[in-house]
Amino acid sequence: MVCAEFEERLLEYAELPNGERERVDAHAAQCSSCREFLEALRSVDSQLTAQLAGLEVTPAFARLVRRRVRHEGSAARPSLVPELLDFVGWGAIVTLLGLLAWWLVPLAPVSNTKLAVSFNAQYAAACVFLVAALLIGIRSFADLKH
Amino acid sequence: MEQEIHACLDQKRYQEAFDRLLPEFQNKVFRLAYAMLGDAGLAEDIAQEVFIRIWKALPGFRGQSALSTWIYAITRNACLTALKKGAGKRESSLEEPNVARAAEEAGVPPARHAEIDVLRFLDQLPERHRQVLRLYYMEERSYEEVARLLEWPMGTVKTYLHRARKELAEAVARSKMERGTA
Repeated sequence: MVCAEFEERLLEYAELPNGERERVDAHAAQCSSCREFLEALRSVDSQLTAQLAGLEVTPAFARLVRRRVRHEGSAARPSLVPELLDFVGWGAIVTLLGLLAWWLVPLAPVSNTKLAVSFNAQYAAACVFLVAALLIGIRSFADLKH
Repeated sequence: MEQEIHACLDQKRYQEAFDRLLPEFQNKVFRLAYAMLGDAGLAEDIAQEVFIRIWKALPGFRGQSALSTWIYAITRNACLTALKKGAGKRESSLEEPNVARAAEEAGVPPARHAEIDVLRFLDQLPERHRQVLRLYYMEERSYEEVARLLEWPMGTVKTYLHRARKELAEAVARSKMERGTA
């Protein structure tokens, strides 16, 4: 079992400043658990570095990709859908801001008939609000997909 | 290099842009795929798919993110799809034929059998620990590069790496003790 106070420093041994490293060395010289852990860690580092560092594709890779690209033909034309969704989304944001501004403006006292009209208008506005929010969502999704 | 590729894209010279980005990113894409899938043969297949996707999508690249960020995102998505399909379930070590072949061609020495083979303990680690660990050693132990390729926060990368290296070191130490007492 490694000494808890040294565990972090043992794991960062290679990056430790000189003074700190000497302290760890001095401790490891006296503590067999930490010494064994440090040796095992060095073994892990050296083996995995030797086997994984700079792993590259096989020499034929680029040739195979180019052959497949030739087979695929020319690059696809850019789709207009993201641009269209972008436009719709910005339109929705402007509509939303307009609706918010309309709601925030204090209303003058109105008659019952006018109140009913106002209620219907607000109901319609709420629907528009929801649709606008949906369109903004679609736009965000399109951006994420892009 | 990215600026030159961007210049080609701005002028709709897609073939030239692709010819420049392929040698620039082929190893990074392959390593990221290998880190995520743990199989060099499969990682090469996925890397090929990634470049075909890049080729098809190049005209639509709007430069909202860095080219490298875009390419790594495509790679991660392709790997996640492969993992979902179960293609990456077959975990491997560098001693498996396809990985050994890739390693041999890349001039990587085989594991020294006198030592305890660390790679055999890799399979016992959680998937995310394995991914971060492979990438860390492939990318010459750069935390920044691992965080950039996986698009994970640096703190997460460090935490996973510490846990993974600790588990491996403990497994190696235990194995050495068992050998010593056997």
